[in-house]
Amino acid sequence: MRLLLSLFLSALALPALAAEGTRIQVKGEIIDTWCYYSGVMGGPDSVVGSAHHTCALWCSAGGIPVGMLAEDGTVYMILKMAGDENANGGDTILKMAAHTVEVDGMHYTRDGLDYLVVSDVVSDLDIQNKTHEDYGNVPSFSIPDPN
Amino acid sequence: MKHLIALLALAATPLAAQDFSEGSEAKTWNLYAEVPAKFEATVVDVLCDLTGDCPENCGNGTRQLGLLRSADDVMVFPLKNNQPAFTGAATDLLPYCGQTVTVDGLLIEDEDFPVKNIYLVQTVTTADGTTAKANQWTKEWAKANPDAKGKGPWFRRDPRVKAIIAEEGYLGLGLETDEAYIAENF
Repeated sequence: MRLLLSLFLSALALPALAAEGTRIQVKGEIIDTWCYYSGVMGGPDSVVGSAHHTCALWCSAGGIPVGMLAEDGTVYMILKMAGDENANGGDTILKMAAHTVEVDGMHYTRDGLDYLVVSDVVSDLDIQNKTHEDYGNVPSFSIPDPN
Repeated sequence: MKHLIALLALAATPLAAQDFSEGSEAKTWNLYAEVPAKFEATVVDVLCDLTGDCPENCGNGTRQLGLLRSADDVMVFPLKNNQPAFTGAATDLLPYCGQTVTVDGLLIEDEDFPVKNIYLVQTVTTADGTTAKANQWTKEWAKANPDAKGKGPWFRRDPRVKAIIAEEGYLGLGLETDEAYIAENF
């Protein structure tokens, strides 16, 4: 009984320990997670790629967590990008807004969310997703009216 | 054995979906999946929690912060503060690193998307009952960017954003693409 109780109490303590990570290499687009999940600017297909590039810059510079939308639809919340310690509006992730990249890093899951600690950017393919052809610029005020 | 079964039942309770809307005074943002939610949580460095890499003071503003909910030990990830200005929550939460606070705001919950446990924080109340609105980001930006004073919102004046747009264009595909797009659409 004591052994059972002690095992049970140990199990209760487990969530306080660091999670087990898995090393992965994954390809996807660097996205603005708030607009993607909240729907504040429109559906998820309209808030990625070139249509949303400027807004993604604003959100990244504003410290909204940057994500990586993988080809299988998984969104990884990026907690560190290669050598840049700053995941709260840092320069490295800012410059990658809307880019398609292939990265190597450690994957963690917790409470339904996927997190990624990127150790290496294997390739940066710039913007591949030309969504402005279907959605224009999102939001519409992201490009100041020149007239 | 009865005690053990009772303990197991208690441990299983947080697995069931809980309603944190009671007592919430969160204002709507008219988001399709928003759910008002007020709960007690500890402000944590997410990277530290997951990996054990734990610098002082939650990384002093360089890291994304999480809300470890007291009721069920769920890590809620705040993506947004309460300013309608493309601003995250980490800067507003940093003063509370390691503290147990009560937050009020909006969870985004949609089983079909699927998405859960992401949050827009509107207020933070400390143990002594002091409540602060989560709207400090733009003030911190203004302090860090004294040369970017001027009219219009911060995101039109931010030097880093302006530099990237000047080089890559609004669409990010180069200035020529921008020029053709603007000529056609404005």
